[in-house]
Amino acid sequence: MDLELVQRVQAGDKKAFDVLIMKYQQRIVHVITGFVHDPVEALDVAQEAFIKAYRAIPNFRGDSAFYTWLYRIAINTAKNHLTARSRRPPAVDVDAMDATNYYDAAELKEFETPESSLATDELQMVIHQAIESLPEDTATAIKLRELDGMSYEEIAQVMDCPIGTVRSRIFRARESIEQQIQETMNEGEQQ
Amino acid sequence: MTANHNELLSALVDGELQGKELELALNLIHTNDDARSQWQRFQRTSDIMHGHSLSLDNIDLTTLLSQRLSQEPIYSSASDDKTAKIFTFTKPIWKQAASLAVAASIGALAVVGVMNKPENQLIPITTQVAAVETTAAPIITAQNSKRWTVSEQDVEHRLDTYLVDHNEYTGASGVFSYARVVSYDEGQ
Repeated sequence: MDLELVQRVQAGDKKAFDVLIMKYQQRIVHVITGFVHDPVEALDVAQEAFIKAYRAIPNFRGDSAFYTWLYRIAINTAKNHLTARSRRPPAVDVDAMDATNYYDAAELKEFETPESSLATDELQMVIHQAIESLPEDTATAIKLRELDGMSYEEIAQVMDCPIGTVRSRIFRARESIEQQIQETMNEGEQQ
Repeated sequence: MTANHNELLSALVDGELQGKELELALNLIHTNDDARSQWQRFQRTSDIMHGHSLSLDNIDLTTLLSQRLSQEPIYSSASDDKTAKIFTFTKPIWKQAASLAVAASIGALAVVGVMNKPENQLIPITTQVAAVETTAAPIITAQNSKRWTVSEQDVEHRLDTYLVDHNEYTGASGVFSYARVVSYDEGQ
């Protein structure tokens, strides 16, 4: 999925790496927080991990997903950081495969703070409700994309429609979900 | 920001952009704050739907990293080629090894065969044929020879010329001269 962006970075396009940072920064910081509990320190480690990834990106050949590769770098950077500070890394070892099979990664859930867990659960509920209120074809398109992980081409085959239609249905679904989230957040601020 | 732009950003979240569309989306994110925020919102929604927990704070590492990244080298396609190319065998390696072994065996047999022929000389045929050309004798006959007998001198001369040409050509090309191994005329 990210191979196009990675190839652009390998060809000298730093803007593409910025997009990769923006795309994964939240997840990487969250994973690192499981090792380095201080938020400021965690941000420093995350930056270090991204710099290491940038330096190593010419060697990335796409054998694994980019996020799995980045995740491994982040975990190693966090562990090295703790070792350098003479602290023991957490006993829970996180396998790199957890990055791609996140749904089964119970270990990673342990890193959640109650606040982040609550916020995520609330948002998930809002998103679920928003999807239920969508027209059927739009809801199906976004579910196939986000829950089943299908590509646009695969969705087009399943739904028997052009790829362009899939793209616009997914976009419309996201717009509606986004609108629902904003309304919920606004209501929360007013209360 | 148009609806088309937003649709482009949505497709970027899914990694479904290529070429000019990807270029356009990247430029939008880097030049337009609204586009950037919109893309991040789409990305956040996608992350949550995938079950990823997110930090509560709005993190923007790109700003923090921009200075450090500006000091890093820009990669070129050339350096990419150096690292990304992997040597692959078009045939299974055992097939290639077997072919090499057969070729080496034939070569070794040929060398052994030549070395065991005491009468073998490196330039016998050319000099002999040259001698044939300059001698006045109209027909050459060799006793106890395996060479065929040709009564017409023209045909004999043409055959000699062909053999000389063949011998010189194969010798020049680096291939072990077949004519030297089998010998045009064993008796000479």
